[in-house]
Amino acid sequence: MSNQPNGRRRVNRFAAGDSDVTVVIGSGAGGGTLANELCQKGAKVVLIEAGRHHRPEDFINDEWASLNQLAWLDARTTSGSWRIAEEFPSLPAWTCKAVGGTTVHWAGCCPRFKEWEFRIRSEHGPIDGASLLDWPIGLADVAPYYDRAENRLGVTRTNGIPAAPANNNFKVMGNGARRVGYTGVSTGRMAFNTVPRDGRPATIQDGFNYQGDKQRAHWSTLTAEIPKAEKTGRLDLRPESMVNRIEHDGSGRVTGVVYTDADGNQQRQKARVVCVACNAIETARLLLNSASALFPDGLANSSGQVGRNYMRHVTGAVFATFGKAVRMYRGETMAGIVTDESRNDPGRGFVGGYYLQLHSLGPSFLATFLSPRAWGRDFAEIMEQYGHMAGMFLVGEDMPRETNRVTLNRDVHDQFGLPVPNVHVDDHPNDTAMREHAYAAGESVYDAVGATRTFCVPPYPASHNLGTARMSVRPEDGVVNQFGRAHDVPNLFVSDGSVMTTGAAANPTLTIVALALRQADHIEQQLKAGAL
Amino acid sequence: MATITAAARTMYPHDALPDDVYARVAEKLAEAACEDSGAARTIEAGVSAINNGRLFAELSADEQLEALKGIEGSAFFELVRSIAVVEVYSDERTWQLVGYEGPSFDQGGYINRGFNDLGWLPDPEAA
Repeated sequence: MSNQPNGRRRVNRFAAGDSDVTVVIGSGAGGGTLANELCQKGAKVVLIEAGRHHRPEDFINDEWASLNQLAWLDARTTSGSWRIAEEFPSLPAWTCKAVGGTTVHWAGCCPRFKEWEFRIRSEHGPIDGASLLDWPIGLADVAPYYDRAENRLGVTRTNGIPAAPANNNFKVMGNGARRVGYTGVSTGRMAFNTVPRDGRPATIQDGFNYQGDKQRAHWSTLTAEIPKAEKTGRLDLRPESMVNRIEHDGSGRVTGVVYTDADGNQQRQKARVVCVACNAIETARLLLNSASALFPDGLANSSGQVGRNYMRHVTGAVFATFGKAVRMYRGETMAGIVTDESRNDPGRGFVGGYYLQLHSLGPSFLATFLSPRAWGRDFAEIMEQYGHMAGMFLVGEDMPRETNRVTLNRDVHDQFGLPVPNVHVDDHPNDTAMREHAYAAGESVYDAVGATRTFCVPPYPASHNLGTARMSVRPEDGVVNQFGRAHDVPNLFVSDGSVMTTGAAANPTLTIVALALRQADHIEQQLKAGAL
Repeated sequence: MATITAAARTMYPHDALPDDVYARVAEKLAEAACEDSGAARTIEAGVSAINNGRLFAELSADEQLEALKGIEGSAFFELVRSIAVVEVYSDERTWQLVGYEGPSFDQGGYINRGFNDLGWLPDPEAA
């Protein structure tokens, strides 16, 4: 039994034996949106979340203290040749463990996938060392849901919502981009309010995104979806509850979940439908930890694809110092984008595209990530230039690989006694070529406005985690079908970025929300038809 | 204590910062030693080695730098460095020195306090 944010004890709305409920595991972009949409449609939903239920006003505007409040810090291990395994071996991903999931620390960038990004396999043919596959759906299938998602999230430059104003950091990146000839330069499509909307205020440009949004100007499932679901009277939110495994009957239909509650007691919740939305690493881990005699390699894993094809985007950052003050930390952290490199032009030496996006860190994170493990007087002098520094994030499509993979590490167990996930990554040569191109592009942007020095920063622990239960037409190629339903299990769905067949260049949240809305329509239809 | 404080300053040398900032690193390490006997042994052995035959804290800045270069990559060095980089750059005195204003929510954010006051470049979308 967990506490509500106001300190009151929480009481379950639905009985443990109520096999009419839909259980959604994970309350982030996918799970939180799906839960609300199903509640709006009249379904009873038990939403189980591993993390705590925070109030926005309790978020901490101090980077390390906030990380300890919000991040998923349960034990994990890493292997492979990626730099993360050397520099941050126990922290492969930077996601949240909280009601609202990773939407809680999301900055709000909302590009859509492009038409060709759903079928990059046919666009390029096979690529050595990559397990590329076309999505079973295309832009035409998702576009109506993008429309609904943008309206729901209140995305700037859509639905008549005013654009975000240019902040200091964007003035530097945007002018540099224009001077090198880029034309797709703007403050972007962002999921925070520039005017009051949907019961939430306009941004006060307080400069904190990755630490949670105290002002509630950003869309998140914590502040937008879950409160609406609670108003229906059909949501049973259970925070601080870690699902250990999903159970099934002799016919292979799932029947419910077993979880450890906030008091450390094991509970069993029956279900008509189970939807897994735990973010790509934990989603794969839960399916693998749900192995049984009937599903010896893990639930829904007859293909052997659960946990494989793990993607995290090609990422990196470029920072630069200038002769005059910038103060990049003031204002919305990521309100700026250059879209010109998000195109399909193998002539650049790699397939797929990438974006340059606005980005800043406070001194505490910058010191850790700027040049991991750097020290000494030169480093200290760079840090003293902090107020004169501008920053950008690089995000592009990475190649899925069968061997980039989440597996169970049976030598290490977490606080619940469950094997922890191991995340293995080797960069594909295409990823490396794209990253180098993007670094050069970012440096040229800053050089064009007089940078005194530029810094190419290696990838952080990933916030975009994708692909570990991918959609496929054929059951042998993936884990779920075009609606996110498991090929092997008729009443089991995956509802997060794990389903992405390929990752495109776009920040994934908007697409995760669109797919969750599409899945909700499908589940409603199937429930009405008596098929679930 | 003096050894760790001096080592932290050598790793992240900001001449304008008082010793108190670097002493926080020593305090954090002492806490870590209380919680973890492995860390305690690493610290004890590291401090003892770096003070071998002389007091590290009393060496010249150049000598301290050379001594730290000699143990770079060791478990002791990495433990001190990983705590120092967090403590030094999470300190409000460091923030002030490097030009960072920290939390702004209680002051109404930056919407009326200069989020777009950079004057040496125009609004890129206004042209």
